[in-house]
Amino acid sequence: MSNAVFLQLLTGLQLGAIYMLIALGLTLIFGTLGVVNFAHGALFMLGAYLGVIIAGETGFLLAILLVPPLLFLIGLLLERGIIQHFYDRPHTDQILVTFGIAIVVQEALKWIFGANNIPFPTPSWGSGVVMLHEYLPFLDGIVVYPQWRLILVVVSLVTVLALFGLLQFTRFGLVVRAGMRDSEILRFLGINIERRFAIVFGLGAGIAGIAGLFGGPVTQVYPGIGMAYLVPSFLVVVIGGMGSVPGAVLAALLLGMALSFSAEYSNIQQIIIYLIAVIVLLVRPRGLLGKKGVLE
Amino acid sequence: MSDRPDDPKNNRGKGFSRRDFLKTSAVTGAIAGAGPTVFTRNAWAEREAIGNYPVKGKAVTFGFNVPQTGAYADEGADELRAYKLAVKHLNNGGGMLETMAPNELTGQGVLGKKVEYVSGDTQTDPDAARTSARRMIERDKVIMWGGGSSSATAIAQQYLAQEMGVVYMCGLTHSNDTTGKDRRRYGFRHFFNAYMSGKALGPVLADAYGTDRRAYHLTADYTWGHTQYDSIKQFTEAEGWTTVNNIMTPLGSSDYSQFLTQVLNSDADVLVLNHYGQDMVNSLTQAVQFGMRDMQKNGKDMQIVVPLYSRLMAQGAGAENIDGVFGSTAWNWALEDEGSQAFTKTFEAEYGFPPSQAAQTCYVQTLLYADACERAGTFYPPEVIKALEDHRITGIGPGEAHYRKGDHQCFKDMLVVQGKGPAEKEGEYDLLKIYQQVPREDVTYPVDTFPGKLGPYRPA
Repeated sequence: MSNAVFLQLLTGLQLGAIYMLIALGLTLIFGTLGVVNFAHGALFMLGAYLGVIIAGETGFLLAILLVPPLLFLIGLLLERGIIQHFYDRPHTDQILVTFGIAIVVQEALKWIFGANNIPFPTPSWGSGVVMLHEYLPFLDGIVVYPQWRLILVVVSLVTVLALFGLLQFTRFGLVVRAGMRDSEILRFLGINIERRFAIVFGLGAGIAGIAGLFGGPVTQVYPGIGMAYLVPSFLVVVIGGMGSVPGAVLAALLLGMALSFSAEYSNIQQIIIYLIAVIVLLVRPRGLLGKKGVLE
Repeated sequence: MSDRPDDPKNNRGKGFSRRDFLKTSAVTGAIAGAGPTVFTRNAWAEREAIGNYPVKGKAVTFGFNVPQTGAYADEGADELRAYKLAVKHLNNGGGMLETMAPNELTGQGVLGKKVEYVSGDTQTDPDAARTSARRMIERDKVIMWGGGSSSATAIAQQYLAQEMGVVYMCGLTHSNDTTGKDRRRYGFRHFFNAYMSGKALGPVLADAYGTDRRAYHLTADYTWGHTQYDSIKQFTEAEGWTTVNNIMTPLGSSDYSQFLTQVLNSDADVLVLNHYGQDMVNSLTQAVQFGMRDMQKNGKDMQIVVPLYSRLMAQGAGAENIDGVFGSTAWNWALEDEGSQAFTKTFEAEYGFPPSQAAQTCYVQTLLYADACERAGTFYPPEVIKALEDHRITGIGPGEAHYRKGDHQCFKDMLVVQGKGPAEKEGEYDLLKIYQQVPREDVTYPVDTFPGKLGPYRPA
């Protein structure tokens, strides 16, 4: 494999990793609660802002411990305060209310911190480049890659596996999956589905917090980042299949690779993700790994 | 060049100016029960309505249309600060009103009317900018408007200005098209352009990095990026550089890794970032993360160039990332001429930090429009436009500024700058070192360099 192809593969992987992290929470919330959450980009942005502030004050390690739980809490409050009233409402209402929340969050952050970019320096233990040629004998000459982006890939994979494990191998996950199928039966069985739904929304927000915290040093922190990632993340969810975690992973990697390998062709590059979405949805209207029943 | 004593319009220090005469006439006229219009120039024009002329009431309204959202929002915020300050100075005196020469402004409004303003959001988007401007014209009855930080929005608004018969004083716009193929009679640009940046930077880059360099460009995919790429390519190739490739990147991208990977995969030893605002902050920061400032290519240290710089961007990118990086700016708050200092001091007193080049160009454009109204003796747009055309003025920045009649481009000194590293900077806002002040004559080009037509003085 040539160096050029290897680097493009790596870039595709790490682009996919960021989309994956953001889309994960989105697809979890949709799959479980049936809520189309347009405020997800704003939660990602909150993660980035809280991250840059806490990391600046106390260091990045403490931000890792604080930001996801804080976002979890914000998610809980959001679900209890607003979202829960929209479970039985049409998707258009959900889109309107969550988009409204997104705009309020964006404007509030702009009002507090201004429109200017806040530099988010990479923590010292993750900055600099990795000399890949020292570890991979098939590479020819000097090949380097930013260490932080490799860390981002690892964080994404760990988060995906943790979420998958939680849903697949715990009683909580079992109940949540059952709730996705038929929440009424669960209520008859005396299971408190509301509390679990609130926790799921909190989890989705917490994952958005992880994405914001680790994505912040890559994208920097400014009021537009939430919206910048919202559309690609939704495309990932749609292409992967609404509510499917493995589908989101697959779609994120597909988009990342497509963006990476088409980068040199400006005109194609800017429409490629939409082109993929159209092709996938024409061939498989439910997305790559979408299940029957969702939105049908 | 100082005040032009041979300028018939400059009546300062001559005892009894045309203004004094007008003021006396107005008072006399009022006492006699007749309006002062009889004494103004082109009284015939007073009867013809164009745009929002004639201005009714005791106040006149200016419109300030700036990006409050989008990739250039930080520029917009600073533009609005400058506009508010300009209005304050027009109504109460101070700032550059004390340094401009010639100057007909009195610090008591414009043509006896208090200046008020409305603001709008261009959203860094041409359609939104037009909608917002149209609302200001139709609802708020602005006599002029200004602002913006994207050439796409500036060009869209210039066409609207011509259509509506309302003068538009461009904000920060650097595309050659603004006063090139898309020039408009009702639009004026005080800011410099990509051609001037290229002309100034080419020799400096060759001198600093040698003549056998291979450049890879990443370019914002809209009018400004395209013309800047063309100009930088033209002037660096004239010095012997080779252009390896160029990728057009979407405006407002947050991640440039896929493009930077292409740069890594090429044999280029210079990365040219034709990006501005948040785009530049992102692409430069990420290029540094990719190790491009510590890399050797073709046996040379790899270099990054940002042809259009700004202090706001430098701040956003951080001193570590901009250390030693070359670029060009229209203006910098550290300039020591009288006009720049007057503006910087009043801006700092008002807001607690120094102004950006976006702020300076918007402030100056507002004063120049107001001064042209005073010199014309009317708000009637064709006369105001004529008063601005081929006007020469000092005290609004270094040296003399000249609004060329043929394309409405202002020619004045500009700066080649270099980013200051953490060790070199003295404070939060001291991020750019003035490497060279390029004289106006060196970046002036023939009016037919870019083909275009201004259009009529009276909109159809």
